[in-house]
Amino acid sequence: MKYGYLVWKNLWRSKLRTAMTGGAIMLAVVLVCLLLTMPAGMDAMLNDFANNTRLTVHNKAGIVYSMPYSFTRKVRQVDGVAAAVAWVWFGGAFEEDGRVTFPNFAVEAEHIGAVFPDYPIAPEQLADFQRYRDGAIVGRQVLQKYGWKLGQRVTLKSTVWPVDLDFRLVGVIENDRAPHFWFNREYLDQALKEKGSNGLGIAGTIWVRASDPRQVNTIMRKVDEMSRNSEAETASETERSFFANFFGSLQGLVTIILIVTGLVSLCIVFIAANTASMGVRERAGEIAVMKAIGFPRRVIFTTLLAEASLLSIVAGVAGVFLAVGLTGALQALAGWNDMLGPLGNFIVTPFVIVQGLFLSLFVGMLAGVVPSFGAARKPVVESLHEVF
Amino acid sequence: MPVRSLRLRPFVRLGRCMQAHSQDGARPPLIQIEAVSRHYRRGVDDVHALDRVSLSIDAGQFVAFMGPSGSGKSTLMNLVSGIDQPSEGMVVVAGQSLGELTEDELAEWRARHVGLIFQFFNLIPVLNALDNVALPLLLTDLAKAERVRRAEIALRVVGLDERVDHYPRTLSGGEQQRVAIARAIVTDPDLIVADEPTGDLDARNAEAILELLRKLKNDFGKTIVMVTHDPRALRFVDHAFHLDKGLLLEGDAADRADRAIQLAAGGGLISTLGDAPEGARRPA
Repeated sequence: MKYGYLVWKNLWRSKLRTAMTGGAIMLAVVLVCLLLTMPAGMDAMLNDFANNTRLTVHNKAGIVYSMPYSFTRKVRQVDGVAAAVAWVWFGGAFEEDGRVTFPNFAVEAEHIGAVFPDYPIAPEQLADFQRYRDGAIVGRQVLQKYGWKLGQRVTLKSTVWPVDLDFRLVGVIENDRAPHFWFNREYLDQALKEKGSNGLGIAGTIWVRASDPRQVNTIMRKVDEMSRNSEAETASETERSFFANFFGSLQGLVTIILIVTGLVSLCIVFIAANTASMGVRERAGEIAVMKAIGFPRRVIFTTLLAEASLLSIVAGVAGVFLAVGLTGALQALAGWNDMLGPLGNFIVTPFVIVQGLFLSLFVGMLAGVVPSFGAARKPVVESLHEVF
Repeated sequence: MPVRSLRLRPFVRLGRCMQAHSQDGARPPLIQIEAVSRHYRRGVDDVHALDRVSLSIDAGQFVAFMGPSGSGKSTLMNLVSGIDQPSEGMVVVAGQSLGELTEDELAEWRARHVGLIFQFFNLIPVLNALDNVALPLLLTDLAKAERVRRAEIALRVVGLDERVDHYPRTLSGGEQQRVAIARAIVTDPDLIVADEPTGDLDARNAEAILELLRKLKNDFGKTIVMVTHDPRALRFVDHAFHLDKGLLLEGDAADRADRAIQLAAGGGLISTLGDAPEGARRPA
C-alpha cells in the first residue's frame, strides 16, 4: 500500500489523457453491460410472456399444420388438464392494409378464460364474448394502435379463409404482452358453412393449462402419446419453449451481440495499452532513475501495472454505475410509456455488474502488462544509457 | 533537531568491513577496484570502455573521476555504484564483491549502500520535494511518519527545509539538484555517487553544490565519488582520477591532466586532454 500514493500521483500526471482513457473504458463497460443485459432481458421477456402451467400442442410437422378439432376434447380428458382451448389462425387483415398487422385467432369462447386466467380481462367482457357470436376480444396495444373503442364494429378480411368477417369489439386484454385479436370459432365455422364448405373441423394449436406445474411434463408426454401413429402426430411444449422457438431468430441476434461485445472489449484493450505504453515511454528517465536508486524490477512492474489497472477499475466502476442508471431510467420510462414496456426487462443484474468489473480489470491488466514488463525487464544500465 | 543528528540506519548493513579495522590495524578501502575491464558490443563494434583499471578509495574521501567524453569515467562510476558489472576484474564496495550479485541483488544493494545524484536531477515531477526525497525510503520497512521525518532532515541538510511542499517545476535548477542530493543521502548510504552534478547548473549554483558535497564529506564523513568535467571540482575533492580512452592515467600523465584542468579553471583555457597521453599506464 505504501506505493499506492506513488501510483495515484502518476495516474494523474496527464489529467486529460487519464480522463480520456478512463472515459473510453467507462463507455466500453457501459456498452458491454448494456449488451450483456440483452440475453437476460430476452429471457426475462420470455418468462414474462410465458406461464409455467401452460403448454401448447401443435402438429409435429410445424405450427402451420393443423390437427383434428376433435383432438381438443381428448386433450381435455387427460389427467391434470385444467382447461384446453383450440386456436385457428384467421390471418385477417384490417381495412386497406391488405396484410396481417396483428395476430388474430378463432378460439373457443367458453374455454379461453379458463386457459388464460392470468390475462386481465374483465369478467363481464368475457361473458359478452361468450354471449355474442360475433364478439371479439382484442389486446390493448392493437386497440390503441387503431383507435378502436369497445362496442365498435371491425371487419377483418381473411388471407387464409375465403371469408370477411365483421366483429363487435366486446372486450380488451389489459396488458401489452398479448397483442391478440380473439373471436368465437363458431362464427367462422358458420361463415364457412354458408360458403358451402364443411366448416371449421381443425385446430391450429391447442393451449392447455395444467392444474399443477409439476404435471406439465406428464401431460405433454401423454398428449403426444395419444396422437402417435395418427394422421396428425403432435408435439407439445411449454409456453416458454413455444415463444422461445417462435422468436428463435433472436438467438442469432444474441450471438451477434456477444461477438460485438468481444470486439468492443478488444478495441478498448488496444486503446488502454497504447496509453499505458505512452505513459511508460514518457517516463523512461524516471523509471531508469528509480531502478538506479534501488527499486527492484518487481516493484517497477507492479506499480506500472497497478496504474493501468487502477484506471481501468475506476473507469469500470463508473461504467457499471452509468449502466445501472441508464437501465433504471429505461425502466422508469417503460413504466411511463407502454410502448417501451419490453425495455423494462433489460436490467443490469449483479452477474452483469461482476462481468463489467472483471472486464475493466482484464482490460487494465492486459493493457498494462506488456509495457510494464518491458520497462521492468530492461537492465538498469541499459535504461540509463537510453535516456541519458 | 541539529543537522548533525542525521544518522539514518534503516538497514542491517551487509558489508561493514570498511569500518572494521583489519587485524593489522589498517582500515581497508571502501572501494577496491582490481584489474577491471568493461567491454560491450555496440552494433557491430566491440567497445572497450575500460581496460584493466585498478584503484582504491578510502572511506570518507571525496574523489572525482575526470576525463574527456568516452574516457570511461561514467562506465567506472556505473561499476562503482553497482549499476553495471565488470566484464573482467573485481569491484568490491563496502566489503561486497559486486560481480557476484544478480540484477535484483544489485538493486537491493544500491538501495542500502549507494546514494545517486544525476546531472539532470531526475526528480519525479508529480511528487513534491519531500516525497521525492522520501522515495528511496519506500524500499525500507520504515513507517510513513519516520520516512517523512528522515526526508525532512535530509532537506534540512541541503538547506531546503522551507521548500518541502514545492514541486520540481517550481524549484530552480540548483534547488532541484539539492533535492536530488537530499534524496541521495536520505538512506544514509556508505557511498554517494554523483554523475556530473554541476553539469546543468550555472557557475554560482555549481559552486554551491560542490560546497554542499564537500560539507557532506566533512561533516558527515560521507564517501563521495563524482564524475565531472568541471575544472572547479579540483578545488573541492581530495583526489581526482583521470581517465582517457578507458585507461587510468597515473604518474606524470595524471599530473599533466591535473595541471591542464587547473589551468582551465584558472584561466578559462578550453582544455581537452587530447589523445591518450604518454604515461597512460596499461596495468600489467
